[in-house]
Amino acid sequence: MAEMWISMGPQHPMTHGLWTLKVKVDGETVVDTEPDLGYIHRGVEKICEARDFTQITTYCDRLCYASANTWSHSYIYAAEDLLGVEVPERAEYIRLIAVELQRIASHLMWLGAYGPDIGNLSIMVWCLREREMMMDLLQELGGSRMHYNFPRIGGVKRDLPHGFSQRAQAKLKLFLNRIQEYEALFDESTVFLVRSQGVGYAKPEEMINHGVTGPNVRAAGVDYDVRWAHPYSVYSELDWQPSVERSSIKGADCYDRYRVRVEEMRMSASMVLQALVKMPGGSETYHEPGDPKILAKAPSRAPEGTYGSHHFEDSRGESMFYIAGGGEGRGKMPYRVSIRSPMFITIPYAAKCMIGYKVADIPAIMGSFDPCIGETDR
Amino acid sequence: MGKKISAAAQQKAAEELAEAMSSFDGVSADIDSRSSGTQVRHTVTATCTPESWRQLAEALASEYSVDYCSMITGIHWPEAADKSWEVVYHLMRTGVKDPAAIEGVVQPNITDAENLTGVDIPMEIQISIALPDTREPMVASVQDLWVGADWNEKETWDLVGIDFEGHEGMRRVLNPHETPVGYHPLQKQHKLRYHGFEEMYDDAQGFKRKPADAGKIK
Repeated sequence: MAEMWISMGPQHPMTHGLWTLKVKVDGETVVDTEPDLGYIHRGVEKICEARDFTQITTYCDRLCYASANTWSHSYIYAAEDLLGVEVPERAEYIRLIAVELQRIASHLMWLGAYGPDIGNLSIMVWCLREREMMMDLLQELGGSRMHYNFPRIGGVKRDLPHGFSQRAQAKLKLFLNRIQEYEALFDESTVFLVRSQGVGYAKPEEMINHGVTGPNVRAAGVDYDVRWAHPYSVYSELDWQPSVERSSIKGADCYDRYRVRVEEMRMSASMVLQALVKMPGGSETYHEPGDPKILAKAPSRAPEGTYGSHHFEDSRGESMFYIAGGGEGRGKMPYRVSIRSPMFITIPYAAKCMIGYKVADIPAIMGSFDPCIGETDR
Repeated sequence: MGKKISAAAQQKAAEELAEAMSSFDGVSADIDSRSSGTQVRHTVTATCTPESWRQLAEALASEYSVDYCSMITGIHWPEAADKSWEVVYHLMRTGVKDPAAIEGVVQPNITDAENLTGVDIPMEIQISIALPDTREPMVASVQDLWVGADWNEKETWDLVGIDFEGHEGMRRVLNPHETPVGYHPLQKQHKLRYHGFEEMYDDAQGFKRKPADAGKIK
């Protein structure tokens, strides 16, 4: 049969955003693929060159709507490296709570979107129900439901509000029970198992060489995680292990990538519960915004020749900012901000993963890598 | 307790790698100690000449187990004294190996972080390459060593205009395909603020805005 190119996207349920996957097919089999990105390129890196260091945080929130907090924190750590700020320990604990709650919310959004991708529609509402609880908690911290603008250079915007600790504990305990419901819905659904098992195999060494990290690589039986390998924040103070999945001998398939994210939600919930207990000063005390216990003083200018960078474990892999100081206004603005988006690197790899499978497997494979186009196109 | 790499071993590994990198012609490497939170970590920061970059990259990939290219950043410095372009590589050593299988059952790799030594210790490496004033800035491509560099190089060329010698399949990735040849938006001659004025921020309420025919005889 003759081979032909077909174009999936920019408007296609498989894409989870706005991009095109060009697929070369031979009958039903995928022979070659080529992703075409950039449909929502907003030029965030260029915009950042004309904003001061505080203003940039809000742009970073908007890189990914499903995981806003991890992106603004990723930027803040790089900016602190550039400006040489030491953050109070209490603020680090509050950041950890915000980031891990966001990770749960992001994985729930993924799980809710992945079910419909491969024919399990009911899971979506179940996941969004629990995501609502996480967003309520995040709203208490940041004040809004999507783009929190929560971290500040040198600390956080606000301390934990009164009663946050009890509400968070109650909600997370309820959530930990409800994870079993998702597992029941997925693992007992024949449609889900048939469509996710045995497709999209990926091996760890190959993934690392292709620049793929995060849950996608941990699904293949390795425990590489930026949170312990390149430590930041107070992760080393908590009792946790990265979630690792026992994959098959051919590598991780779509089912393993689903399993590892479910386990990671459990781990994040446990980290938040531990942090609420271990926090210096206790989770019940409240400091006014701007208190040195939660916000250290930070310089507002970075002279020319300075640079800062930070590797960060985003919900989708390793995200990173590189900032060169010395821009406009005698260093008030950065000279160059460069953003490493995990999905920008992962999408071409996911497209390679599809080769050899059937056209009907494309949504299952693409969805399992958790694409987010906002951060990809920046 | 969570996983913790021993601080002394981590520093020793960074020093060893920096020393090994410095032995190359045109490369000078140093260690940086950073702390974001409770643990200090040491990273390797190096500068490299464009001529020796390819040789250094090959050695890093084959001898020093650097297996991961995180990011490539291109910077345009039209007014700097010593360079007019710069390429910054962020590489990493992750220590990820395919897990072994016993009788067909995969045994997940659980790292014993306390007792890691030598080239197994995860490491962050930053290499910056300064390029002279030229119309066609170019460095050697490392696409074949780390496939992760592939789309990073495409992006750097697309946005900044730094080309990579030996890169296969260079094309626009974030800008539209029909973008004019030679247009790379992150070059500094393309400005966001014109004459220091930006309507959205400097005159948010529109007090200074005037009708288009202001001052003309009606």
